[in-house]
Amino acid sequence: MNADPKFWNPVLETLPREKIRKLQLKKFKKIFQWAYEHSKFHRKLYNAAGIKPQDIRSFEDVRRVPTVEKSMMRDIQGKEPYPYGDALCVPLEEVTIFRQTSGTTGQPVYQPDTWQDWEWWTECWSYILWAQGYRPSDRVFIPFGYNIFVAFWAGHYAAEKIGCEVIPGGVLDTKARILKIQELQATAMMGTPTYILGMAETARMKMDIDPSKLSINKITCAGECGASIPSTKKRLEDAWGAKVYDHAGATEIGAWSFECMEQPGGLHVNEGFFLVEIADMETGEIIEEPGRRGKMIISALDRQAQPCVRFDAKDVIEWAAEPCLCGRTSRLIKGGVVGRADDITKVKGVLLAPSAIEEVVRGVEGLGDEYEVIVDNVGDVDRIKLRVEVLPDAQDQCQLVEEELADQLRLKTNLRYDIEICGCETLPRYEVKAKRFKDLRRKPKED
Amino acid sequence: MAPSDLNEINTKIRLMKRSADELSQLGKDFPAINRNVVRILASIKMLEINISDLVELIHENQT
Repeated sequence: MNADPKFWNPVLETLPREKIRKLQLKKFKKIFQWAYEHSKFHRKLYNAAGIKPQDIRSFEDVRRVPTVEKSMMRDIQGKEPYPYGDALCVPLEEVTIFRQTSGTTGQPVYQPDTWQDWEWWTECWSYILWAQGYRPSDRVFIPFGYNIFVAFWAGHYAAEKIGCEVIPGGVLDTKARILKIQELQATAMMGTPTYILGMAETARMKMDIDPSKLSINKITCAGECGASIPSTKKRLEDAWGAKVYDHAGATEIGAWSFECMEQPGGLHVNEGFFLVEIADMETGEIIEEPGRRGKMIISALDRQAQPCVRFDAKDVIEWAAEPCLCGRTSRLIKGGVVGRADDITKVKGVLLAPSAIEEVVRGVEGLGDEYEVIVDNVGDVDRIKLRVEVLPDAQDQCQLVEEELADQLRLKTNLRYDIEICGCETLPRYEVKAKRFKDLRRKPKED
Repeated sequence: MAPSDLNEINTKIRLMKRSADELSQLGKDFPAINRNVVRILASIKMLEINISDLVELIHENQT
């Protein structure tokens, strides 16, 4: 065998496309049947739609299966079997792990997993880390709070499975984490883009340490779409002198996608484990061709305790036209997750994705990493206020920086902004997921 | 990897699964056995996902 195999699973990851599709259909039938037979919630939903397991014979049939929304999961939880409700497919005593969603979009959703489900989470992450070059020789630092959010838990276990040495940076504060990375010469780490940028800022401005001179050579980012936004990725890579890779996953779904070492400008879908469909946001029509954005409908093909079958994730994605040069045959999501269907909103009649603002802000030299966007109304007119920080070395060029920012924003988003230059380190800093976009407009009354 | 190698791997996976199931039965009232077997079976399931689920598909090539 090759001394350094390129693929975690050389068979599955290079399977011809038609075989991947066959595998997905076969596995979808199984997980649908599992959910139908073991979850009252799913059975009721499918019976109401008139679909039974034997009806699933093709992808056309898959598309007739009703989607599940997060709000539906919120409605069932807190009931028997407590606290998960009747989507639970196994006896309570087989549940070994509780997690909950972060609550960014509302009341958190509980997620039960069995030990097999947890092993599955870890397996999904093993694909990710291996594709990003993690090997047994790596010493991986994980600056994460080890709490009820799934975040980097599975990354930790997968790094262990791969054979890496793992340093849990749990209760340490940011400075202590940086010192520990320095002391132990860690080679890799995982975090949200916001936090990894914040760590670099703390190292430079409060500790007089240049993070690019530390030993970190690769970073896996998750939790936000930043590592797939080119200007944010560049800032992260420049700050740490490391390769930065994106990964997208979710508590109620699993770790479904990853960027490989080719950095192809997109994410591989782990198609042996997940079925990803893209639905047109207006019509619900399933989009097969590249270049058309829609929202993701996803099924986790092996998750058992609380199945994820055609979950309407509301992540906005599009298929890439070309396969990746790395040799994996899985389809790529172009540019990663570009936003959430809930976040992409019309401002002054123009569709605005907050990620487009981030791409511009992080691409302007002289601006700090942090920013804040507030949309409100002045009378009946929408107003976008953008608050940014100018770096200390660029203070004498404030006006030039502001003009450059305004020009780029107009060019890339077709909108005008009220720009406010704030003092250094005055905007909020975030430890995990940032909340930089605030829509304070009055909601139109529904008829 | 040759399909014949995959067959052999799959055979070993099935043997492991059968042994683990038997061990689970034998150790029903023996927590140190059956709780460890739960973990072993979860790992075997990952081998099935990685290999056994693919064997049939790979064979379609050969026939």
